[in-house]
Amino acid sequence: MSQFMLLIRGGDEAFASFTPEQAQQALQMFYDWTEKLRSEGRYISADRLKVGGNVIRICQGHAVVDGPYAETKEGVGGYFMITAADAAAATELAKGCPVLTYGGIIEVREVAVNP
Amino acid sequence: MDTGNQTSNTADDARMDEPHSVLSPPSSALNSVVDHLFRHQAGRVVATLTRIFGWQNLELAEDVVQDSIIKAMRHWAYHGIPDNPAGWIMQVAKNEALDILRRERTLRGKQEQLARLPDYQADAAADLEILDNELYDDQLRMMFTCCHPAIARESRVALTLKTLGGFGVSEIGRAFLQSETTIAQRLVRAKRTLRQMNVPFVVPEADELPTRLDSLLEVLYLMFNEGYSAHQGEDVVRHDLCAEAIRLATLLARHPTGDLPKVHALLALMLLLAARLDTRTDEAGDLLLLDEQDRSGWNQRMMGAGMSELTQSAQGEELSQYHLEAGIAAAHAVAPSYAATDWRRVLIHYDLLLQMTGSPVVALNRAVALAMLDGPAVGLETLSEVRRMVGMENYYLLHATCAEFQRQIGEVDAARASYQRALELTSSEPGRRFLQHRIEQLTKQ
Repeated sequence: MSQFMLLIRGGDEAFASFTPEQAQQALQMFYDWTEKLRSEGRYISADRLKVGGNVIRICQGHAVVDGPYAETKEGVGGYFMITAADAAAATELAKGCPVLTYGGIIEVREVAVNP
Repeated sequence: MDTGNQTSNTADDARMDEPHSVLSPPSSALNSVVDHLFRHQAGRVVATLTRIFGWQNLELAEDVVQDSIIKAMRHWAYHGIPDNPAGWIMQVAKNEALDILRRERTLRGKQEQLARLPDYQADAAADLEILDNELYDDQLRMMFTCCHPAIARESRVALTLKTLGGFGVSEIGRAFLQSETTIAQRLVRAKRTLRQMNVPFVVPEADELPTRLDSLLEVLYLMFNEGYSAHQGEDVVRHDLCAEAIRLATLLARHPTGDLPKVHALLALMLLLAARLDTRTDEAGDLLLLDEQDRSGWNQRMMGAGMSELTQSAQGEELSQYHLEAGIAAAHAVAPSYAATDWRRVLIHYDLLLQMTGSPVVALNRAVALAMLDGPAVGLETLSEVRRMVGMENYYLLHATCAEFQRQIGEVDAARASYQRALELTSSEPGRRFLQHRIEQLTKQ
């Protein structure tokens, strides 16, 4: 079993325009998906990330801080750490995430445990 | 952490909707989700927070609970729904309310107010254990307070639905066919009254209990009837009103304070009527009268619960309006068909009810029972007396009933005129369709 990080980006604009019924449905799909990961023992940890944050880079020898990081459209809004047999299996699991149904994207990255 | 300015920023941050997170519909949409999914949890937690923080902080409690539920729903998307969602929400809401009050203390020096507050973080675990009992008692306190006779009658139901049931203002408006503004104003006035009167957040003591209980039962009765009576369209919210009235009446009846014959009688009435809710309309959404309903579709579990409550209501000497109405509902519940109903028993109940209330609507229903026993001609004769009672000449059901009796004794033209008059007097869409259908049938005869 390998570990994977699913980085969730976007989807907010569509979600923001949802009717209460659609929002409720989307939440329920999210709960179901999370519950499925848990019941199959694939769930390690997950969290939503707050908006904002800082970007730091060295510029002419000094640390320069940009922020709050404004580009939220493609920004990471949350992550899931899961286990899966391989990248293909992890990708299959990620396809079930409801954020994909309203314009979000998911980046699936394997954790490099042994260098 | 050292300046007042920073502190107030933190307060704003905590209340602010985070507009760009993964799960971030506009707050109005999420509020509606809260209304749908967490109605009862919200009501319970608001009741407890109000006891802890006092009436002057009722709005704070409502805001905090709404906030906490929205936070909870977002959190759960990543972590799954916990085993005890209500406990989770309670803990988050309590902590947030404490944070806000602490900041207020820092800002305004409200030392005294906070000095009385216990340290809830310390006994969080103990909290969850006693949560059920605590929530239970608090809901009862809240019921009595929301139905306090000092509050205007029409506001009591709205306040109870909002505070205990967690109904949204728009939902209450829909249920009562009133604008959101009207409901919101009623709520504001009701809360102001409670603050001004400094109504204590307690279950009333013995000397005060009878009048306070009557007011509470009246509110539950109105809430149920509002949901049960046939209005335009069968909005789901209307059935939710019935369910909420039953839930609150059950809470009351199971508590030592509310374990009284009158309370059981009201609960019996609601259960026996609600058992018929699903059979009250046909597939097209049109109203079906009692004699047209499919009795096999009546909810047997609810009927059973209603009959059991009725038995419990028979202890003691008191015979209330609720006893009599429940008795009538029970006669229908046990009858194999409309014709085979024990109309004698129904009539006796209506006789007593009429003596007790003097209500013209009761007099009208009594005439129907009488006609079932002694024939339509006797019914028609009784109606001529009922017609003289206040407001009856303009009540469409009087004319519809009149038409029915006239049809049965073969006075087709008179029946048509009566149906026509009834049609002119009602604006309810299902009611109008029903009457038009009757007129068409009359023409075929």
